[in-house]
Amino acid sequence: MSVTRSEALSPAAVSGLVWTLVRTDFKTRYQPTVGGFVWALLKPFAMFLVLMAVFSFIFGGDPAYRFHLIIGLFLWDFFAEATKHGLVSLQAKSYLINKAKFPAWVLVISAASNALITLGVVCVAIVVFLAVGGRAPGPLACGLFLLYLVQYILIVTGFSLAASVLFLRYRDLNQLWDVAIQAGFFVAPIVYPLSIIPERFHFFLYLWPPTPIIQFARAVLVEGTIPTARAHAFLAIETLVILAIGLWVFRVLAPRAAEYL
Amino acid sequence: MAVLDVRDVAKSFRIPDVHRTTVREHALALFRPRRFRDLRVLDGVTFQLARGETLAIMGRNGCGKSTLLKIIAGIYAAERGHVVRNAGITPILELGLGWNPELDAVDNVYLMGAVLGLTLGEIRAGMDDILAFAELRPFASLKLQHYSSGMAARLAYAVAFHAVREVLVLDEIFAVGDVGFIMRCQERYRALSAAGHAVLLVSHDPRIVTTFCHRAILLEAGTIVMDDTPERVCKEYLRLVTGAR
Repeated sequence: MSVTRSEALSPAAVSGLVWTLVRTDFKTRYQPTVGGFVWALLKPFAMFLVLMAVFSFIFGGDPAYRFHLIIGLFLWDFFAEATKHGLVSLQAKSYLINKAKFPAWVLVISAASNALITLGVVCVAIVVFLAVGGRAPGPLACGLFLLYLVQYILIVTGFSLAASVLFLRYRDLNQLWDVAIQAGFFVAPIVYPLSIIPERFHFFLYLWPPTPIIQFARAVLVEGTIPTARAHAFLAIETLVILAIGLWVFRVLAPRAAEYL
Repeated sequence: MAVLDVRDVAKSFRIPDVHRTTVREHALALFRPRRFRDLRVLDGVTFQLARGETLAIMGRNGCGKSTLLKIIAGIYAAERGHVVRNAGITPILELGLGWNPELDAVDNVYLMGAVLGLTLGEIRAGMDDILAFAELRPFASLKLQHYSSGMAARLAYAVAFHAVREVLVLDEIFAVGDVGFIMRCQERYRALSAAGHAVLLVSHDPRIVTTFCHRAILLEAGTIVMDDTPERVCKEYLRLVTGAR
């Protein structure tokens, strides 16, 4: 047991550490490449063009299909990237955990930062894409979309906190998560409309966190409808449960993280 | 009042007879439970560090020195006992911790400083002093991968000296570089000591321990076997490692 009277980092030092890790990580990742940050955006855009070209033959009857596809794809891309980086975040910076004393959650949060920056940019791109297509969302739709994004980030944070400490004990979790992500792409209604799946299965699909986020975002941004209060309550509970589990697992396992490196 | 009070600290690691580090290994051996044995690394370690005091910890490899420093720094949790920290601690268990060879000196100062607990304002305010102390002002925008190992170590030292709080904890780290730089490090170190900073230092080098320390502790198999003057502890340490009687 340890007692600390004046050893903890100040909030200013912690926020400075987060900012420095995010900034230097961003710089190292994109500065050496021609086009820099554009590469991060190119991946979901290229995917959109390919899937649009292929699936418009099947779902081309729906004039809003391209809007649904771009929202689904971009939101999915954030989930896949942020959770993958979050999962390996502590292991990737193990030299810091093993030799310095600071809150380990800082590493988990900063690992998802690049995906978060990309999400910010693609959200602007989504709104512009909708406006150019004659479906400019109103302030209420944008506000609700922002609310869903906040919940999405909390879900990713909860998952990353738990997965990052579990990964130190189970070193094949990243491979298992890669498989889950590949399957999850088709569980979430990204390239197909949810309506083609029998309604009795919808509840199970909604348990996969990207599904409600994508569906709700499409409803407010493209369809101009607002999901029911019950649907909102479902998403809020799902978010809180994932975040609470993530915080609990992290709180229990993080103090001994350095011993598993 | 001691700035650091270590009381009856004990630490064991549970060592399994079979290492299972993946979900697959755990799943395949679900009904084959593992046996664990406790490896006792520290047992009943008790000492105090006074303000302005420099204390050396000596001991053979594997005697528990690094584990003790990690418990004091708060990186490992002690299994039993207490570490009471009455002052801010700067643990430097590895030189240049967190540096990135793909970034220039300025970015690396931010990175290393932030890892050592400095705020952005403190780093910004100290940037000129850090680069001047490391004699790297003309190379501030050069990526670290183009530095010699001596230049990189100088930068790391400069940041570490700037980040020192009341208590400095050092693991096998002492000045490298040319004679001029070593002398400047020693000067800075003496100034810190004179200003009341306490230092806890792990070293195998009797010359460093007798030159800089007021007191020394000899650790053997996880327990303190001697707490005395640096000269006496160095003598006993040399007797232990050489097997001389």
